[in-house]
Amino acid sequence: MTNPSASNNKFMKRFFLCLLTVLVITVLVVWFVPGADDFVELTFQRYLGRAAS
Amino acid sequence: MKIFIRLGIIIVSLLLIPITAVATAALKQRFEDGPNRVFSGGPLQAGELHAGAEPDWAFVNSIPTIEMQLLEPGTSRRIWVASYDNKLYVWSGYMNSVVGRIWKQWPVQAETDGRAVMRIDGVRYERELERVMEGDFLPALSDIINSKYSSSLTPASVSAGEVWLFEATPRD
Repeated sequence: MTNPSASNNKFMKRFFLCLLTVLVITVLVVWFVPGADDFVELTFQRYLGRAAS
Repeated sequence: MKIFIRLGIIIVSLLLIPITAVATAALKQRFEDGPNRVFSGGPLQAGELHAGAEPDWAFVNSIPTIEMQLLEPGTSRRIWVASYDNKLYVWSGYMNSVVGRIWKQWPVQAETDGRAVMRIDGVRYERELERVMEGDFLPALSDIINSKYSSSLTPASVSAGEVWLFEATPRD
C-alpha cells in the first residue's frame, strides 16, 4: 500500500525539480535568444505603466 | 489544510518564473551599450563625442527621451528632457515619496557627482548636472515640460523637492 504522505513528498520533489529546470531555461532563453529580453522588458513596462496609472 | 499550504507554495513558486525573466533581462541590460526601455544599461560607448560650440538645444523638445549615464556609477537610463533658453534640463519626480527614493537613485548620485554623458540622436555630450531649485525661468520651463509630457510639474514642486530638476551644463 502507498503512503499518501510519501506520495505527496515525491510530487513536491518533482515539482521543484521541474521548476528549477524551467528557471534555468528561462535564464538561458532571456539571455541568449535574440529579442527575448526586449519582449520581457516591454511586457514589464506595460504592467508597470498599468500599475502606475 | 495541508493541501492549501501546498497550493500556496506552488503558486508562489510559479511566480518565480516571470520574476526570473525580468531579473535576467534587467541584469543583461547592464552589460549593454545604454538602456533599452525601463532597465538601466551600461556605459554609453557608441556615438561620436561632441566637441565645439554648444548646439541649439531647442531640438530636444521634439525628442521623447534621451540616454543619460552618470560617470559614477557607470549606469545609464532613458529619461525625459526639455530645453529652455538654450539650456538643457532633466528631472526626476516622486522624490518625496518612499517608492520614488527607492526607485530613483540617479538624482541622489548626480547631486554627489554630477558628471554625466548624454546620448542624443546618436551623439554623446559630456555634461555636468547641477541641481536647480528656483529661478525665474521655472514657470516657462514647466509649461514646456507639461505640454510635452503628461506631467504636472510646477515651480512649487521643484522648490519643495518633489521634483529634482537638473541643468545639464557643459563639462570643462
